[in-house]
Amino acid sequence: MSHSEMSRAKRHLETTAKMKEMLPRFFMRQMERRFSNEPLAWCMVGVPPELLKAFDLLFEWPENFGTMCASRLVAPKFIEVAEGDGYSQELCSYVTNTMGYCKLFKETGEAPEESPLPGGMGTPAMLLGSGFICEPRWKWFQSIATRFFDVPVYSSDPLAPPWDIDPRDPRIEEHYLSLLREDLSGQINFLEKHTGKKLDLDLLREILALSHEALAYWRDTLALRKAVPCPMGSTDYFHSIIPQMYLVGDQEAVDFYREMYAEVKDRVERGVGIVEEEKYRLIWFGLPPWFNMGIFNYLESLGAVFAYESTYNVGDYFEVDLSDPLEAIVRRTWQRAVKMHDYGAETMPELCNPAVFGGFSGSSLLEELVDDFSLNGAIMHLTRSCRAVSFGEVHTKNRLSEIGVPSLIFESDMADPRLWSDAQIKTRLHAFLETMDKAEKGAR
Amino acid sequence: MTVNSKQAISTRNEEMIVKLKTESGMPVIGYICCFAPPELIAAAGALPYRITGIPGADNSAADAYVEPYGCTYVRNILARAVKGELDYLDGLVISHSCDMVQRLYGIWTYYHPLAYSYMFNVPHQLTPWSKRFFKRELGFFKESLEKYTGNEITNESLRKAIDNSNLNRKLIRKLYNMRKEDKPLFEGSEIIELLIDGGTLPAEQFRKVLEEKLAEAENREAGKEPKPRIMIWGSIMDDPSLFKMIEETGGTVITDDTCIGTRVWDKDIPLTDDLYDGLTSHYFENFQCPRTDRGPGVKRFDYLLERAREYRVNGVVGYCISFCDPHKFDYPDLRDLLKKERVPFLLIDDNYSFEPAGSIRTRLQAFIEML
Ligand code: SF4
Ligand code: SF4
Repeated sequence: MSHSEMSRAKRHLETTAKMKEMLPRFFMRQMERRFSNEPLAWCMVGVPPELLKAFDLLFEWPENFGTMCASRLVAPKFIEVAEGDGYSQELCSYVTNTMGYCKLFKETGEAPEESPLPGGMGTPAMLLGSGFICEPRWKWFQSIATRFFDVPVYSSDPLAPPWDIDPRDPRIEEHYLSLLREDLSGQINFLEKHTGKKLDLDLLREILALSHEALAYWRDTLALRKAVPCPMGSTDYFHSIIPQMYLVGDQEAVDFYREMYAEVKDRVERGVGIVEEEKYRLIWFGLPPWFNMGIFNYLESLGAVFAYESTYNVGDYFEVDLSDPLEAIVRRTWQRAVKMHDYGAETMPELCNPAVFGGFSGSSLLEELVDDFSLNGAIMHLTRSCRAVSFGEVHTKNRLSEIGVPSLIFESDMADPRLWSDAQIKTRLHAFLETMDKAEKGAR
Repeated sequence: MTVNSKQAISTRNEEMIVKLKTESGMPVIGYICCFAPPELIAAAGALPYRITGIPGADNSAADAYVEPYGCTYVRNILARAVKGELDYLDGLVISHSCDMVQRLYGIWTYYHPLAYSYMFNVPHQLTPWSKRFFKRELGFFKESLEKYTGNEITNESLRKAIDNSNLNRKLIRKLYNMRKEDKPLFEGSEIIELLIDGGTLPAEQFRKVLEEKLAEAENREAGKEPKPRIMIWGSIMDDPSLFKMIEETGGTVITDDTCIGTRVWDKDIPLTDDLYDGLTSHYFENFQCPRTDRGPGVKRFDYLLERAREYRVNGVVGYCISFCDPHKFDYPDLRDLLKKERVPFLLIDDNYSFEPAGSIRTRLQAFIEML
């Protein structure tokens, strides 16, 4: 790979462009609070952001930091430091990115100058993990607290029934719900202890109401992508998840997603698509290559648009009764698990994902999506260092071919550009689209 | 060592289990990883069978179902399962030990269903509620076994199964203890071969094998010069190749921290009033697999340091199969701790083939000479 091969994404929506002002404003506010030594938690996706907000806790997402390091091409530097420290190149590059970052931070006492975000990720006062999807998550914060920051850790452990167990069997439901409830109270006790604050349930309820309002707009926006031509593509999609991570529970996030919804709806009404002639309507599987998001624009230049992505839908909307806000969080988690289960969860971890379809294929979900979004092909990114999300792609490919949908699997990584070979990947993507053409002509 | 001799172990186990199945008329329930207690399978009147892999075998049959990146041991088992080579299994129980094993379950049972299959769900935290979950999960597993075999698992039958396997644990510890001598009477590879047999044989028959070995070993002549004493730590080791390589290059494997070795046999299953409490503490709380989160800090390796002291270990050889997240993530923390404790440590990265044997031997030799 050479850096000149990487290109940043061109986005299409005006709403997402507004993030250029919105996010720095948010990060500046965060910085001021960090400087006044307020405790900062590093968190994993899966920790309910509403809870963090209810504790008025400063937080940072090492995963998201990984995506930023990747898009600025500084991840290889951090990853190589971690490799020098004994972390194998096979390990999740978000994790190794953090490990390298932490090592440099510890050596100099400050964020390495290449770090994105002012002040990098700051100094954590606690670590809040969530093992909702993969193994590396159990080891990640354990090792950070062992090697770099000796701070308390709470890792949430939200299990779900395996694919061949009926989640509607009342005994099974209780088996899992009681674990989810107790796990959530463990998380809350930990937060109360380490922030010195008591959880305010009324405040949590208000935050949940706001967050659900934002998520409802997000859900409705995604549904608008069923329109032909597709009004919103992947570069906007992957970018616009950020407010869900940082601003959920804020009025600002509700406004953002409402505006986004209005803009996308307007595009649908005016028949404005992402590409001039929509030749291929695709579904994207896997994590995106954050260091080369321009690859989506490259595909757009060939007439291909993604109307659906299988990952990073961090927070689906579910109708829940907010009168008991803690039970609402548990029920939301459980409903997502049951929904994924209904879709066929044979290649998924038996864990409660915070987002339905978080990177995985459910057999019947595929058919539904292909119909609803008028899809005619799939491209899957096999990320070498994240097996958790890539696993199931071959199976998905098999399932898609049963319903006559062509697909391509190509290999690289989400954060480590050393695994990207531009010419080869583009040739394969191009050739795949050509075979789709031929198949279509043959069918006609 | 050639691929053939590695295959020999799996083939021998398979022949043995098929024979046992024919003779007893009992169903064979295969398992991988020890979170779902084999004692429960035995108490249900079935034959528990630890599925072993064939190191270095051609796994390309797995490619039609799973991605190329993943633990080669798991890919090997899947490749054989989809080819129908494991069709002597009547049932399968897989626990969520690591991600790869858990995902194996779904793909296997989707494409190649078995008469009985159960995914045993295991939390990653050691909280009071995760222990309660594990115990309830034992109950669901018990029910599913009863439903499949038609036999009730009574407290008596379970107690008997636990007693039987605890007896074997005592004998195995005796064998390990004999290795504490300066000039041990037998080699580490002999023990691991026995333990691999123990994954196939019913407890009573395994006991006889162990007793014979003990009697025979006691009559051996101690002799040979003391050799550098090695402990093996790491990924699954269902093959004696690495043990033998260490022996051939001048060392001796005195103890181990692997899942077919001390992790299962080190301690007895406590015989609690409620037997399921004892199973929970043995198979969940005390089972030292890095997939379980024992919190930050190096305290989680205390048991390993203790064992190294107890066996007067001169050096540790780590063995990591490619893409084995639980062990690979622990490596830097463990390496630094051992360095602090002045215990030499060598890591062998392998794709579950023990090849190229020449270069592994060279590295082992240099390490052993240094000790
Ligand atoms: S899901 Fe993948 S990218 Fe995310 S933490 Fe796990 S291994 Fe890393
Ligand atoms: S060797 Fe590692 S990755 Fe493979 S099954 Fe064992 S723990 Fe899992």
